[in-house]
Amino acid sequence: MQIEQGDTDILILGTGGAGLFAALHAKQANPDLRVTLAVKGLTGKCGCTRMVQGGYNVALAAGDSVERHFMDTIEGGKWLPQQDLAWKLVTGAVERIHELENEVGCFFDRNSDGGLHQKAFAGQTFDRTVHKGDLTGIEIINRLMEQVMALDVARLEEHRAIELIPAADGSGLSGALLIDMRSGGYRFVRARAVLLATGAGPTMYRYHTPSGDKTCDGLAMVLRLGLPLRDMEMVQFHPTGLLGGPDTRMTGTVLEEGLRGAGGHLLNGDGERFMERYDARGERATRDIVSRSIYAEMRAGRTTPMGGVYISMAHLGRDHVANSFPGMVKRCADCGFDLAGGRVEVVPTAHYLMGGLEFEVDCSTGMPGLFAAGEDCGGVHGANRLGGNGVANSTVFGGIAGESMAAFVASGAPLRDPDQNAIDAGIARSERPFGRPAGDLHGLRERLSETMWDEAGILRDADGLARGRARLDEHRAELSGLGLSDGNRAFNLTWHDWLNLDSLMSISEVIVRAAQAREDSRGAHFREDYPETGNLDATCFTRVCADGEGRLSTEAVPVDFSIVQPGETILTDTAAAVE
Amino acid sequence: MADSNETLTVRLWRGDATEGDYHTFTVPRRENQTVLDVVTEIQRRHAPDLAYRFACRVGVCGSCAMMVNDTPRWTCRTHVSKVAGDGTLTVGPLRNMPVIRDLVADMTEFFDKWQKAGGRFQGSRTRAEPMAEVDTTSKARRHADASIECINCGVCYAACDVVGWDKDYLGPAALTRAWTLLNDTRHADQRGTLDRAMDQGGCGSCHTQGNCMRACPVGISPTGAIAGIKRMSLLDFLGMRGR
Repeated sequence: MQIEQGDTDILILGTGGAGLFAALHAKQANPDLRVTLAVKGLTGKCGCTRMVQGGYNVALAAGDSVERHFMDTIEGGKWLPQQDLAWKLVTGAVERIHELENEVGCFFDRNSDGGLHQKAFAGQTFDRTVHKGDLTGIEIINRLMEQVMALDVARLEEHRAIELIPAADGSGLSGALLIDMRSGGYRFVRARAVLLATGAGPTMYRYHTPSGDKTCDGLAMVLRLGLPLRDMEMVQFHPTGLLGGPDTRMTGTVLEEGLRGAGGHLLNGDGERFMERYDARGERATRDIVSRSIYAEMRAGRTTPMGGVYISMAHLGRDHVANSFPGMVKRCADCGFDLAGGRVEVVPTAHYLMGGLEFEVDCSTGMPGLFAAGEDCGGVHGANRLGGNGVANSTVFGGIAGESMAAFVASGAPLRDPDQNAIDAGIARSERPFGRPAGDLHGLRERLSETMWDEAGILRDADGLARGRARLDEHRAELSGLGLSDGNRAFNLTWHDWLNLDSLMSISEVIVRAAQAREDSRGAHFREDYPETGNLDATCFTRVCADGEGRLSTEAVPVDFSIVQPGETILTDTAAAVE
Repeated sequence: MADSNETLTVRLWRGDATEGDYHTFTVPRRENQTVLDVVTEIQRRHAPDLAYRFACRVGVCGSCAMMVNDTPRWTCRTHVSKVAGDGTLTVGPLRNMPVIRDLVADMTEFFDKWQKAGGRFQGSRTRAEPMAEVDTTSKARRHADASIECINCGVCYAACDVVGWDKDYLGPAALTRAWTLLNDTRHADQRGTLDRAMDQGGCGSCHTQGNCMRACPVGISPTGAIAGIKRMSLLDFLGMRGR
């Protein structure tokens, strides 16, 4: 097998907020560093930072404080976050938002006095979400792209990483094996430091929000390396994804939270408002409660023709809705739906993985040479991510990773010779479908997504999770026997669909195992057989590892309350009083 | 509602950088169906090695633009009923860019020109300093805000006839970004950006045909932006530029 080879100082996998900030900061630390970006799509165009509608949480205003942002993050995360990571998030956000405005060139919305506007966002005790209309992600990524493209940074676009390759001598990471999607050939890039910033994304669920390129490839690669994943049972569902039927890619995409906040009604298939039966706040209840309530209506059979519920805005006045939510109204109109004047079918939709690779405050991981940032990482958000903390997470830690990798290289990190067996195994895994009879790959993905939705979704219990685990074994066996015709490999999306499914199945199994291990309900994880939250003081996080044969083991690891104990606060009385 | 037996006849361009032609496929017509869904259906059920590009599915990333009945469009946000009234659809790779394979165009030059037009913010403040106070009601800021929804999808670049015949022309998107920067009071390299935008291949090459403006999925007017730069350049030459 012909493999292209190359060396670089720093290899960055992914070009969302984390990857681009890492490139920027690494080059700022040392302009002579050879930095290479590898991305599954086009630079800055795939991944989800660009899709951020809400905004960027940061404590800037008088009366707010990083301590308050920290407490909101910890309490929102149900005491599960690793506290030093959450602290770094909230303190780092202050510097990063200034950098985005002053150096990168983002322009965020202003108040009439010329200062930054910060809006209210669910689950926070202060209005601290910086934004650019509802296009915050576009502004951040477009400006970051411009800065990075102006640098001497090599770009491997439409290159998907398929394996992280350890050093032959076991001393750390050697580099990454990739497929050049445009040619269909393999490429091995050796690097002194590698950043995992591929963005995870729970796209194994029937309804999901992330961009189509996201299929947990990064998590699957570190799992195969034997590194620990934490909090993987914590899958955030957004309550209102667009429902357009099974054969359209628009299904699952987000209709923004603000629609409910502005007074939108949710109606079941009988046309009846139901939220007040579940929560006194009605449609304005938090994401997790609304998602569970919609799911309960669906399970009771009170659904719309396509199996969801309706969001109805018309009572607020067509013009008012059209003026308040122009982007959402136009998006629905383009897809054939009348949001301003009619009813639109919606369904809860898998949005974000709070869990991920265990990592440190400096973005290092359990393997020398491997760094990680963004949604691939676990521990920052705990059991629930606050809206507006996602883009803060990717940009804060992406920048830190760039600095850490530059320092790591400066300290004399070597180019390590690769373990050839690992390269061979990675290629063999990717070659597997060729030579096997072509089958219904798309149907298999649908079956996987049904299994995860039905058995490991919004409401879980022991029986369902056990069924899900058995079903995943069947799906895995089916994928192993399912092949592709070996035609043109250049930009062969069906080959990549096969590889995507391979990654998604690996991580689906991890989610199910972690969900089985957590026998309490908190945040995004709800067990109908254990509906109460356990003793907070004894809070553990789940850790899942794979052995050399791919067998998974789970472990409960006590959370280190290194800054604040459950039930206590770091806010002083005066600060706490500002509500 | 589309009849469940109704079908759509799709002519799809297949080939590579050197050659290619249109292949015809028949797919079911569905009520909720975008052009991207049609392309996806063909890949899933008819041509498994079909090459196309998409990412976000909702008109945010600008990866999935293609020629749809000879007009560049975001395929993820183009409902079939809008473009296939007669039951036929023709889909090809974006114009004015090299083809990688099938429906995938190479956007490298598009982004190189973005840089060449001076499309990169240079600040005068650091992360350690407070942010600039900006009057959002000022004329300059309103000009800058007019184009913030650009997602660099390349639709305007594909729509522009000048790009097709003048390889040096930087194109509508790159020059629109320059116009935004020239109206951003925080941008320190005003001179550099203006010079680049007015240099060979810049604003002087625009023929004011307005194809870009009509094609832009978010209603931006690159034609207006380019006219603005030309006006600014003239005032600058006369020493009358107001800043």
